[in-house]
Amino acid sequence: MIRTAAFTREQLRAPFTLVLLVAVPVIFVVAAAGVLGDFARAQGGSLVGDAASSLAAGWAAAFIAGTLGFFQATSSRGADRRLALAGLGPARVAASRICASMLLAVIAAGAALVALLAGTGVAHPWHAFVAVLAFAVIYLAVGVLIGSLISSPLEGSLAVVFVFLLDVFSGPGMAAEAAPYAISRKAADVLIAAGSGGATDTADWIRLALVTGGAVTVAFGAFVFAARSRA
Amino acid sequence: MSRVTTATRLGFREQTRRPLLLVLLVGLPFFFITRSIAATETLPRTLGLPGGGEVLTNMRDIHGTMMAAITVAFLVGLIGVFVMQSVRQADRRLVLAGFTPAQALAPRLLILLAAAGLVLGVSLAVTALSFTPRTWLVFAAGTLLVGITYGLLGALAGAVAGRLGATHLMLFGAMLDLGIVQNPMFGTGEPPSWAMALPGYGPGRVIVDGAFSDTFHAGGELALSLAWVLVLGAAVAVVLSRLVAIDDREPARRRRKAHRLPANTA
Repeated sequence: MIRTAAFTREQLRAPFTLVLLVAVPVIFVVAAAGVLGDFARAQGGSLVGDAASSLAAGWAAAFIAGTLGFFQATSSRGADRRLALAGLGPARVAASRICASMLLAVIAAGAALVALLAGTGVAHPWHAFVAVLAFAVIYLAVGVLIGSLISSPLEGSLAVVFVFLLDVFSGPGMAAEAAPYAISRKAADVLIAAGSGGATDTADWIRLALVTGGAVTVAFGAFVFAARSRA
Repeated sequence: MSRVTTATRLGFREQTRRPLLLVLLVGLPFFFITRSIAATETLPRTLGLPGGGEVLTNMRDIHGTMMAAITVAFLVGLIGVFVMQSVRQADRRLVLAGFTPAQALAPRLLILLAAAGLVLGVSLAVTALSFTPRTWLVFAAGTLLVGITYGLLGALAGAVAGRLGATHLMLFGAMLDLGIVQNPMFGTGEPPSWAMALPGYGPGRVIVDGAFSDTFHAGGELALSLAWVLVLGAAVAVVLSRLVAIDDREPARRRRKAHRLPANTA
């Protein structure tokens, strides 16, 4: 708990980070709400109205969490190895880092969701909350995974951008048919259903839980690998 | 002069040790611009040109045009963030070793310009595969101005907001400014009047003019873009020179403080 709090404080030390974590998703959701339906139609997708706006909240939370996870994993690589060597162990370092990032991702996801609920009439707000959170957690895992493999900040952040844009343009609502490599498509399915008042069946919830849990497990493994001593 | 040449040569050599960066700088524009144009339907769309004219075109051509600008904006913006952040680390040592702040900063700016040129070249080449602007020179000039403006904004954001905050600002800034507000795919087909306050307005309108008009009407927008570049360039020069110069003076300050201390305490 103390370690998680310390790692969270470390990320918030830079000026404006907390402000941006809240302001960026809110501004993006508000600005994108009016245009995503038109954009989806131009892409051959079928999104309209509140379902399109809902997706903006998921995307904002996803990108914020992805970059957060990346910088959490890469900026502290040397220090984390020393912490692991000093007796903390790579698993506990990884758990604390991922929990710290998750805490910040929840703030960003919450801000995006509040903007969404304030601006639109989402039919199932709790479903939307879970889906936005799933977007954030999946991308947190993507960021941690990339940060564990790529140490340079420019290449790593470009890789996060690449995965994000690939996913966004290939996901449900933006393409006539979602591509199998669109990693957030299960979260997007639930979010679109929540926005348009549709039902989400049990199988979809289970698939979403499996994708999210699988992503966190892979990221945890990669972080442990990166944090362990090579001495 | 030889110091700048040496630092520039070493800076470029440093970039050649990063093959993944080269792959991403070439691969990202190629993939996204090609995909955007291919995936967009040819729905008819009327858009407003600078100077008051209107033109009937289609969503695919508009998306291809604007996607090149968005891609150049966020890629060069991110390069600006991270290339200039290295000023804080490596270049302060150069200043301590005898470089002036200008001599230390010039190689970084040249690397930023080269990276912007690479991204711009790839983006324009990829756009040319699927779409032919009416006036290539104007279209390319507008896209270059987008790259320079966002590269300078990235350098400033990196100095002020830290790496995480600056990364968020660059991607969402480019998406909101060029992807939504200036994008003629949405709304009336022309940016709203308040969009003039954003950095993407001038170059965005120059790009639209070059893409869809045979004659040049965007003189005011071009002047506005150049004004943004001049102001941002001056701001970057001041901020980064101070970042480097402060570190240069710090040891002397510490020595003066240590020298004064006995007199004050006596």
